[in-house]
Amino acid sequence: MSDAATERPMLILKDIHKWYGSHEVLKGISLEVKRGELVTFVGPSGCGKTTLLRLIGGFTDISSGEIILDGRRINDLPPNLRDTRICFQNYALFPHMTVAENVGYGLKVNKWPKERIAARVRELLEMVELGAFGERMIDKLSGGQQQRVAFARALSLEPKVLLLDEPLSNLDANLRLVMREEIRKLQERLHITTVFVTHDQFEAMAISDRLVVMKDGLIEQVGSPIEIYERPANEFIAGFVGYVNFMDGRIESLDQATRHTVISTPYGKFEITLEQEDFHTGDDVVMVIRPESVSLSIDCKKEGGNVLCGSLTTYMYAGSLAKCTVMIGDRKMIIDQYNPRDAKHFKGAKEVNVEIPRSVHLLKKNQ
Amino acid sequence: MATAEHSLQLKAGSGSRVRDFLNAHLIHILAAALFLLLAIFLLFPILAVLAKSLWGPDGFTLKYYHAFFSKKYYFQSLYNTLLLGVINTVVCLIIGFCLAYMTTRGPWIMRKPLKVIALVPLIAPPYLFALSLIILFGRNGLVTRMFDLDWQLYGFTGVVISQTLAFIPLAYIMIESTLMSLNPNLEESAYDMGASEVTILRTITIPLLAPGLLKAALLIFVMTIAEFGNAAILGGRTPFLAPDTYTLITGESDFNMGSVLSVVLIAPCIVVFLIHNYLLEGKKFTTIGGKPVASEPRRITPLIKIPFIIITVVAAGAIFLCFAVVLASSFYKILGVTDKFVLSNYLDFTSNQAIYNSIRVSFVAAVIGAMIGVLLAYVIVRGKFFGRNFIEMVSLSGFALPGTVLGIGYLLAFSAPPLKLTGGIMILALNCVFRFLAVGVEAGISKLHQIHVEIEEASADLGASFLTTFFRIVLPIMFPAFIAGFIYTFMTAIVSLSAVVFLVSPGFQLAAVKIFDAAVYGEIGIASATTIKLMVIVMLCMAVLNVITKKTKVGSGLSRKGVS
Repeated sequence: MSDAATERPMLILKDIHKWYGSHEVLKGISLEVKRGELVTFVGPSGCGKTTLLRLIGGFTDISSGEIILDGRRINDLPPNLRDTRICFQNYALFPHMTVAENVGYGLKVNKWPKERIAARVRELLEMVELGAFGERMIDKLSGGQQQRVAFARALSLEPKVLLLDEPLSNLDANLRLVMREEIRKLQERLHITTVFVTHDQFEAMAISDRLVVMKDGLIEQVGSPIEIYERPANEFIAGFVGYVNFMDGRIESLDQATRHTVISTPYGKFEITLEQEDFHTGDDVVMVIRPESVSLSIDCKKEGGNVLCGSLTTYMYAGSLAKCTVMIGDRKMIIDQYNPRDAKHFKGAKEVNVEIPRSVHLLKKNQ
Repeated sequence: MATAEHSLQLKAGSGSRVRDFLNAHLIHILAAALFLLLAIFLLFPILAVLAKSLWGPDGFTLKYYHAFFSKKYYFQSLYNTLLLGVINTVVCLIIGFCLAYMTTRGPWIMRKPLKVIALVPLIAPPYLFALSLIILFGRNGLVTRMFDLDWQLYGFTGVVISQTLAFIPLAYIMIESTLMSLNPNLEESAYDMGASEVTILRTITIPLLAPGLLKAALLIFVMTIAEFGNAAILGGRTPFLAPDTYTLITGESDFNMGSVLSVVLIAPCIVVFLIHNYLLEGKKFTTIGGKPVASEPRRITPLIKIPFIIITVVAAGAIFLCFAVVLASSFYKILGVTDKFVLSNYLDFTSNQAIYNSIRVSFVAAVIGAMIGVLLAYVIVRGKFFGRNFIEMVSLSGFALPGTVLGIGYLLAFSAPPLKLTGGIMILALNCVFRFLAVGVEAGISKLHQIHVEIEEASADLGASFLTTFFRIVLPIMFPAFIAGFIYTFMTAIVSLSAVVFLVSPGFQLAAVKIFDAAVYGEIGIASATTIKLMVIVMLCMAVLNVITKKTKVGSGLSRKGVS
């Protein structure tokens, strides 16, 4: 394969719109997915992420725009002629067939010879560690096993793009973590381009190369999990990928050389080192303060130097972390204290010091 | 009974013993009373028919059965009936499947109109199709005269065509509901794996639908062999069991032979009922939960699309044509023979009298039927006593029984004291109640399964007695099931013919019987007008009830079921 072909994106979405009657579900989606990449569509329910996946799979007609798979426009191809395979949320395993028949279904309808089907099915089942389960009926499998069968079936024809529609949402919490790891490992090993849909932002961050955060039929932000979490583009995204404390303020001074910045807020002045470009003295900003970035200490001696004094209203100890609520004036701040060794001192404490880190992310106000 | 236990603990020491006893055992008393009703009005008439077929003037005898199986005429009648059943079932299943496939998988624009046309016959009496075939293809029929044809409508072919048209809605409803419950992702997965439309149908859709299709087939078979109207009107000299029974009873007063024919007609029904209950138990393929979504239209290949569209359009067109023809013919003395547009058919006194009677009978039947249905459902679901399953089976069995059997059974059982009911409105109403009880009971059962027993326990826990709980909690929640039972019983009773044709007295005519008589005697205009009036009444009633249910916000849980 030439370099040009390997570097060409596997999947390109160009300005995709989808109307259901007079209701516009997708309002212009453009995206490129690289070869071997795992991209996750994530967003609240009704944001259009599943519709987008069904459009790529060919189950729903596109209203306008283009879908290009490996350099070929596939808008008008039915699902059976597209090189994409989908794994549905409910797995959609055929209940009247055995595990092996399910996995071999695609091979059979594509007229593979019998011996090759058998060999391929064996290989796939071993890959998902279900080698001994070929003759089982589907309803005799656990949820996790069913999920593996669905995964093996989707991989049977070596699709160019694998589409996963909330594949973990029917599993219980522990199994979900295990399967998440397994899917990611297999995906990386097979180097298969994958589009993953989930409403679970933590799952999305854990499994993806890149996240596509969607809302109301539009893409809000595309980026790696770190980018999305640490440098969210707006308040919606900041709040969507974990809890966040917002604090309004204004840039009082900004040293362009050292990036030393002073922000004044109703609760005092904060000094931070601003890494973001495009901010100027006098800008109205919102500080994005993650609960785990704040440190908490007993007593209320110090004020100033990014330290605020507040009253601890709740302290919920949960082993690996303690969730705290501190009132700073009339403002509530949520603080996660990881590894809370001195928890017993906080029980019953009233006055505490709260220290805001120097690496706070800023959003422009009214963005 | 958990409810009762709670109240007992709560009231221990405070209330009187009688009250406590009532509180704990009211459900058993209720069950006993309901079972008594079932025994009198369902089991007793059936046993009466069975006894009559085995009991001659000289005591026990098998000579009537011997007569049945040795006479060529009866054998021919049985053969015709079974053949009709088979042909009818197969054709109805095919058409029903095509219709259901198009309305659940086809393009959006086709779904609604096809569905409406497929369901409209539900509000019409099934013998409407016999009537419209006479108007079109009878000896003086429009088509017959137009092309000066010489053919014989009366006979096997005519009955098959009219029966098929009449049972399309039932086939459609049953197949559509199984298709709707099939997770669309299954077919989509097959599609995604590279399967073509034909392959999907062959390897996924039809195998998964098989239990549902079998169930539909059994039901259609039972109903079609028992159906009386079309065969009686169009059968001509071709014998069929149901009309033959009628001739034996009303023409020759031969109750013994009539009973034998009825028992022979019951036999396949019992077989089917048993198959339905025991073979299909647990045969449903369980699919992993997910939200049930309407399937999006697919690009259906011409290979399937064209034959499916031809079949659905022809079927829908034929149904539509039949209704149009009956409507047109209601304004002429005999459409095609006399050209004068008249309204006299609508003003016919005996016809209107019969309709008035039908409304009264159906209303009484609907009220009683819906009440008994709800109570039976409650006893069946919440009761914890021996024989519960038997009560359920008996209460659902009226559904599978041929109407002629319950017709003769009521004649035999209730024409002499101590329970002399013949000649009045009650025998007709009660007959309808117990024949059509199944839907009310099933609606009630499914409604009750949605309600956690904890709701009732909470009420008892708060100190309410069994009766208070029942009237304040259970009945309001069950109201939709009551409405469903009411609508179904009313709609079915007002058009049903096969049982009441034995029970009407000269002074108390019913609309369905009036239409039947008019069609047989060639008063096509009057028959058509009466049919149209009947349909309008059914539609009005449904509209009124629709408004009531919407206003009172109890619309959920209304199930539409087949009408025979």
